[in-house]
Amino acid sequence: MKKKEIKFYLALIAPALLVLFLFIGAPIVQSFIKSLHTIITGLPQLKAPFVGLANYKDLLNDPVAVHSLRLTVVFVATTTFFELLIGLLLALLIHHRFYGRSALRACVLVPWAIPTVVAAQMWRFLFNDTYGMINYFIFGADSASYIPWLAQPGTALFAIIFADIWKTSSFAALLILAGLQVIPQELYQAAEVDGAGVMSRFRHITWPLIRPALLVALLFRTIDAFRVFDLAFVMTHGGPADATNVLQLYGYKKMFVEGMMGYGSAVSVSIFVIVLILAVLYVRMVGRRMLEARA
Amino acid sequence: MKKAVIITTLSMLVSAVFIPCRPYPLNAQEPDTIVFLTWKPNQPEVWEKLIKEFHHDNPDLRVKVQVGPHSSTEYHAIVTQRLKNRDDSLDLFFMDVTWPPEFANAGWALDLTAWFSEREQQKFLPGPVAANSYEGGIYGVPCYLAAGLFYYRKDLLDKHEFRPPSTWDEMLFQGKRILEAEADPLLNIYSGQFKQYEGLVCDMMEFIWSNNGGVFDTGSGGVIINRAESVKAVTFVRDHIIGNAAPRGAISYEEPESLDLFIQGKSVFHRNWPYAWEVANNPEKSKIAGKVGVGRLPSFEGHESASTLGGWQFGINRWSRHHEKAWRFIKHMTSFKSQKILAVEASLAPARKAVYLDRELRAKRPNLTAFLPAFERARPRPLSPVYPMISQELQRFFSRAVSDKGSEIPQLADTAAKRIKKIRDLAESIRK
Repeated sequence: MKKKEIKFYLALIAPALLVLFLFIGAPIVQSFIKSLHTIITGLPQLKAPFVGLANYKDLLNDPVAVHSLRLTVVFVATTTFFELLIGLLLALLIHHRFYGRSALRACVLVPWAIPTVVAAQMWRFLFNDTYGMINYFIFGADSASYIPWLAQPGTALFAIIFADIWKTSSFAALLILAGLQVIPQELYQAAEVDGAGVMSRFRHITWPLIRPALLVALLFRTIDAFRVFDLAFVMTHGGPADATNVLQLYGYKKMFVEGMMGYGSAVSVSIFVIVLILAVLYVRMVGRRMLEARA
Repeated sequence: MKKAVIITTLSMLVSAVFIPCRPYPLNAQEPDTIVFLTWKPNQPEVWEKLIKEFHHDNPDLRVKVQVGPHSSTEYHAIVTQRLKNRDDSLDLFFMDVTWPPEFANAGWALDLTAWFSEREQQKFLPGPVAANSYEGGIYGVPCYLAAGLFYYRKDLLDKHEFRPPSTWDEMLFQGKRILEAEADPLLNIYSGQFKQYEGLVCDMMEFIWSNNGGVFDTGSGGVIINRAESVKAVTFVRDHIIGNAAPRGAISYEEPESLDLFIQGKSVFHRNWPYAWEVANNPEKSKIAGKVGVGRLPSFEGHESASTLGGWQFGINRWSRHHEKAWRFIKHMTSFKSQKILAVEASLAPARKAVYLDRELRAKRPNLTAFLPAFERARPRPLSPVYPMISQELQRFFSRAVSDKGSEIPQLADTAAKRIKKIRDLAESIRK
C-alpha cells in the first residue's frame, strides 16, 4: 500500500474514530480516573483526594460486592447456557420450510423487540404472589400453595434468570439462524444419498458448520448478560436480602443513590475489565474457528 | 421607505397576535421567571390553582414548573445532578424528608434563617422543622407531611368486640381470633412494606422505635442498632410478622401491593401513609370502603408507639439568582390559605399547625385531624448528610434479617452497626 493511500484511508475513518473516542473512549478514561479518587457528593468538604487503588482494594474486601459478583456469574452462566440451547432449537425449527414460517419467525423475535423495562414490569406482575398468572397456571385456585416468587432469595433470582431467558433466547436464535442459512443444501442432499439419518446429518454437517455462529452468539450473550441491570432494577430492586443485587445494580446504587462516585466508578471499571477480558478471549477463539472453517 | 412600511405593518400584526394573550399590562416590566422542579402530583389542578393565585398576587413574577420523575430516589438523582453542577437555571426544588442535611452540607440548599425565623418555625409541626434543620440553620420549609399510620377493619373489630390494639402482641392475638372465626383462607392479619427499598427502613424503624431501640442513640450519638431492644424488634418481625401475620410475599411489597391486599379485604390490619385513607374509602377501588378505622401504630409492651415521618419540603437553590423571588413563592405555598387548599382539595396533610383548627377543614377532612396525634409525634429517620448510605446498610440488614427464618440477627446487626459507624465517622471527619 502506498503512503498516500494510507493517509487517504486514515482520513476516511477519522470521523468514525473521533466519534468512538468521544463517546466510548473518553467516558471510560473518565470513569477510570474517578475510580482512583474518593468522591462523595454529599460530603464536598472531603474534596476529591487521590487514593490510588484503594477503592479497588476496598472492593475486593467488600463482602457485598463479592456476593454480587458471585451471583452475577451464576446469572451469566445459567442464562447464557439456556439461551444458546433454546436459541439453537428455535433456529433449527424456523430454518425448516413449512406453512406459516415467516409468521413464526416474526413471533420468535417479539420478546427480543420489547424494551427490557416493559418486559421486566410484565414479569413482575406475572410473578406476583397473589394475582400473578404463574401461580395460577401452576396451582390453579389452590391459593394456599401459591409461591411468593419475588419474596424468597432463591426464587427471586430464578425469576430474573427466567425472564432473561425468555427475552433473549430469540436473539441467540437469530444469530444461529444466520449460521444455518449459509450451510449449502448440497451437503445435506449428498449425505441423504449416502443414507445418513437426521441425527448423523446434524452431528456431521450442521454442528461443525454452525459452531462459529454459536461462538458469536456465546460472545454476545455472555457480555450482555454481564451487564444485566434493568431486569433486577424493575423486578426486585436487588432484594430480597441482596439476592438479585447484580454487580451493575450495586455500582448504580453506590453512585447515584449513595453518591459514592469514586467507589461506584471502581465497580463499573471492574465490570468493564471482566467483560473486556472475556471479549478478547472469545474473539481470539472465534477468529481461529473462522479461519479453520475457511481453510 | 417601502421597507419601513412593511416592517411597521408586520410588527403591528405580530403585536396584535401576541400581546392580548399577556395577562399583564403592556407598560409593566417583563416579569421574572422562577423555575420550580417538582414531580407530577396526584391532583395537578390544585397545584395549578395555587400557582395561578401566586401569579395574580405577584404580577411581576412567573413560575415555570418542570416535572421530574415521580419516584423519590430517581427525583433525588436528577436534583442532585443539577445542583452539583451549580445549575443556576433552577430556583426551587422539592426535598424528601431525609434530604435537607445532605443538601445543606453539600451547599446546595440556601440557608433560610433570615426569612424562616424561629418564631415562624414554631407555627409548623415540630417533626418536619427538625428534619429541615442542620447545624443551626434551616434549609427547607415543609409543604406537607406524612407519617406511618395504622389502618384496621373497623367492621371486623366491632364484630368481635375488640378495641384497636395498642401493642403488637395484642394485634396478633386479635388477628388470630378474627381469622379463626372468619375461616377465610385468604384473610391475613397484617400487611406492610418489606421489599428491600426505602420503605423497608420506614416500616422497620417503627417496630424498633416502639421497643425503645434506634439507629443512633439520641444522647451520645452512638450506634445502637445492634442493642438488645433493636434486635428484639427485628426478630419479632421475622418470627411473627413475615409469613405469619403478613403473607411471605410482603417481602416483595411496596406501598401499592400491600394496600391492594387491604382494600381487597384480605388483611385485618395495615400500615401505610395518609394517602391510603382516600383509596381505602373509595368504593370504586376498594371493597372495604366505609369499614376502615385508622389510628396510631401499636408498640411493644411498656413502650411508646412511633411513626416514621415523611413528606416534602421546599428548598431554594443556592446558585439561583432569584433567592428573594423564590422565597416569595415558598411563602405563598406555605401560607395558611394555601396549606388549607392543599388539605381540603388534595387531602395533603398541612405542615402548618393552625390549619388543623380550621372549622372547614375539620368538617371536610376529619381524617386529617384524626391523624394529628401521629403527625405530632412522627420521628425523622437518622438526620445525616450521608443518610442515603446509612439507608442502604439498613435496608441490607433488615432484608437479610427478615427474608430468612434462620438468619443470625445479632451477627447481622453487629455487621450493620460496624458499617454504619464507619459511614458516620466518615461524615464526622469533615468537621475536623
